[in-house]
Amino acid sequence: MAQYVSLDTLRFLLYDVHKVEKLLQYERFRDFDRNAFDMLLDSAKTWADQDFYPYLREMDEQPAYFKDGKVHTHPIVKKLFKEAGANGWLGMYFDTEDGGIQLPMTITNSVFHILEAANNHLPGYLGLTSGSAHLIASFGSDDLKKTYIPNMLSGKWAGTMALTEPQSGSSLSDITTTATPVSEGTYSIRGQKIFISGGDHEGVDNFIHLTLARIDGAPSGTKGISLFVVPQYRVQDDGQLVYNHVKAVADFQKMGQRGYSTVHLVYGEEDASYGYLIGEANQGLKHMFQMMNGARIDVGLSAASIATAAYYASLQYARERPQGRKLQNKGKKEATNEQTLIINHPDVRRMLLLQKAVVEGALSLLLECSLHVDIAGSDQSETGINSKLLSEILTPVAKTYPAEMGRIAVNNGLQVLGGYGFCTDFVLQQYARDIRIMAIYEGTTGIQSLDLLGRKIPMENGRALRLLSAQIMETISSASNHENLAPYANVLGKHLPRVQQALEYLFPFALQGDHEDYLADATIFMDLTSNIIIAHQWLKMALAAENALQSGDSTYTEDFYRSKVHTMKFYFKYELPKTSASLETLLNKDKLTITDTYNDSIF
Amino acid sequence: MNILVCISKTPDTTSKISFKSDNTEYNSDGVTFIMNPYDEWYALVRALEITEQNGGSVTVINVGPATNDIIIRKALAIGAADAVRVDTEAMDSYVVAANIAAHAKSKNYDMIFLGKETIDYNGSEVGAMVAEIMDLPYASYVSRLDISGSTATITRELEGGEEVSQIDGAFVLSAAKGLAEQRIANMKGIMMAKSKPLTVVQPVQADARVSAVKYAVPPPKSGVKLVDPDNMDELVRLLHEEAKVI
Ligand SMILES: Cc1cc2nc3c(=O)[nH]c(=O)nc-3n(C[C@H](O)[C@H](O)[C@H](O)COP(=O)(O)OP(=O)(O)OC[C@H]3O[C@@H](n4cnc5c(N)ncnc54)[C@H](O)[C@@H]3O)c2cc1C
Repeated sequence: MAQYVSLDTLRFLLYDVHKVEKLLQYERFRDFDRNAFDMLLDSAKTWADQDFYPYLREMDEQPAYFKDGKVHTHPIVKKLFKEAGANGWLGMYFDTEDGGIQLPMTITNSVFHILEAANNHLPGYLGLTSGSAHLIASFGSDDLKKTYIPNMLSGKWAGTMALTEPQSGSSLSDITTTATPVSEGTYSIRGQKIFISGGDHEGVDNFIHLTLARIDGAPSGTKGISLFVVPQYRVQDDGQLVYNHVKAVADFQKMGQRGYSTVHLVYGEEDASYGYLIGEANQGLKHMFQMMNGARIDVGLSAASIATAAYYASLQYARERPQGRKLQNKGKKEATNEQTLIINHPDVRRMLLLQKAVVEGALSLLLECSLHVDIAGSDQSETGINSKLLSEILTPVAKTYPAEMGRIAVNNGLQVLGGYGFCTDFVLQQYARDIRIMAIYEGTTGIQSLDLLGRKIPMENGRALRLLSAQIMETISSASNHENLAPYANVLGKHLPRVQQALEYLFPFALQGDHEDYLADATIFMDLTSNIIIAHQWLKMALAAENALQSGDSTYTEDFYRSKVHTMKFYFKYELPKTSASLETLLNKDKLTITDTYNDSIF
Repeated sequence: MNILVCISKTPDTTSKISFKSDNTEYNSDGVTFIMNPYDEWYALVRALEITEQNGGSVTVINVGPATNDIIIRKALAIGAADAVRVDTEAMDSYVVAANIAAHAKSKNYDMIFLGKETIDYNGSEVGAMVAEIMDLPYASYVSRLDISGSTATITRELEGGEEVSQIDGAFVLSAAKGLAEQRIANMKGIMMAKSKPLTVVQPVQADARVSAVKYAVPPPKSGVKLVDPDNMDELVRLLHEEAKVI
């Protein structure tokens, strides 16, 4: 089987870079140890080898489709729900009282990294089921928990998140699906949801749609949105299941992730669709954010994982494909010499190193972000409060960087294959299509950037950014003590203030209430910030590797550790300098994209 | 029915192989170790299936240092009830077999299973030695095992066919592909493994009889050559002259 993931890199990141074992001090994670984590990763890899990777190409070639009122998917979907339920994969991070084992999110996400890298069309089905069951566990009544959670965690029923409507995608404040009270806690739901992932298929007996809707008479905007559990089949008092008139009316045929069904749902058209309110009325969006924050990290993870698989696929090709002759420093290229493998051409090495820098940098950030989620949930002290803020500021970056740069990484992987990269004989073109959605769903890059600059930066008077800067400074100071790393620490130290420089230019707009001016280039600000955040991840990785080399740690080979330091240097030479361009754009006073200044005629 | 399953630790199949100490020792730097797949996928899983159907329990045994506890815990996570580790270096097959036999003698196991070979040294020796020391029948390379009462019906794959035989009473079996289907350690199993008993025992007197003189890795693979589909002569020439496979 071809390599699609590196467990060594994953373990290095977990234990050596992010020191995930520090979680074991918390009561919640007391029952774990490193060995248990390793075994889980090992089991995930075996499962991925058996039931994920072998179906990657088939699921693309035979997409999910809608026929006779039902969405049909690859048969592996059904098997997967069964296995996931039987082996406890769906409730990993749940409280023990809700049927979970309280696995840290950091390890849960590591498991998902392996599954996503093996076949990105499948883990979403499971992730959405866990995520929606977790919402019920967090905000649902005991009755709802009893009815739904065991059936969902056993893989009998699937969950979805149903937010988007035809007129309401990026802006959820325009949701029009209605909820009319029927009895205490029960409402009749009417409306339509589009683009609902995993919204229908043959793999399970029932679908539980976690649906945003507006209770009759609720205020307009986001303040009037509530969250409901709307099952496709509802459970009557006598335990019988009856059809709840939530209907899949069509699917969407897509350029990528074609095996992962995307469905158009209609509620309450023929007869009443009952929905059960969870949490408080009009607080639905706030509750939903629990799932959305998790899902944003999941999407980033999916992107990083696809790009990882693409990296290994292109690396294998580069190691086997002879073409041309090696450039010689002295003397001429000799046509009579044997062809060299393309991996020996500097430009191919650059494309491979770019991929490695992006995928491992992205994965490192995602794990760090997950670690903050774990600490925030278990630590009552200031450490926990700080981690909460850090997870909030890092989440939009952890979603966007892997999606945007992962896409570029995969394209470089495709390029490594030359003509074959463009042909369906090889998997690279599929990865290039599959990864494209990551910058769109769960909030587009534009929306994530608004979130970063508009909400996360100003939050608590900029405290999250100050915490983040302090952490970066701490790494810079540790790295400065290493002869080999000091020059790089110094470079990062020079780039870091650029975020502040940009904000000093932008903040006055916000203070004057000129929000459009403040936010117009939020995506460029995202580029600048994420570049520095990933450079920080690389300095941390290089530091851990350098420490291992110095102490003679033989957990991994010397080559392995050296490759981390080398890739850090690559990142600092080829990627980090782009912060100059981002900053220049951000500081440029020309207002070229703002509607007030220029009207439609410029197009 | 109580079954002893012998498990050993081997480098992961994707590990890079290199040697040290003048090519007489395997270099384990940076290597991830796993339970030998023939022990895990076939011997252990078939033993679990048999005890699930007929009652009894599965004990795993490993001869090796404390660093091997990792793979022992995996066997417990997959379903073994308890484990024994003989605390000594596995210097050669004889040391391993002598220690397994010494433990098994007093325990009256109904069967002793192990993989047909380890994927590192491919010795295929321990099973036969254990059977010999314990004076038990030995069935090697078993790809199917049916139990009915005290009779075991055994199928072995042979070149171009198969052999079916029967054994009454206790025996030693080495497991080949097909004997069972790999099981994944699940969440519950992993969490339970920590509380299952792992007994560490001291080794018996047994001296290694074999020492390695030299190891060597095969020559590196060269790049792929693409041959025009219309040029079959060239393909034949390359297969003959360069690959030397025809
Ligand atoms: C395959 C797939 C699966 C999906 N799965 C789900 C699911 O399971 N559940 C669910 O509820 N939804 C799902 N979605 C919907 C997805 O979240 C939305 O498509 C996404 O949020 C964008 O909304 P939209 O398509 O309406 O685009 P629009 O909101 O119309 O956006 C169009 C463009 O305008 C930009 N834009 C919009 N508003 C602003 C703004 N205020 N400032 C700056 N730029 C802006 C966007 O960035 C984008 O570039 C899925 C979509 C797809 C394609």
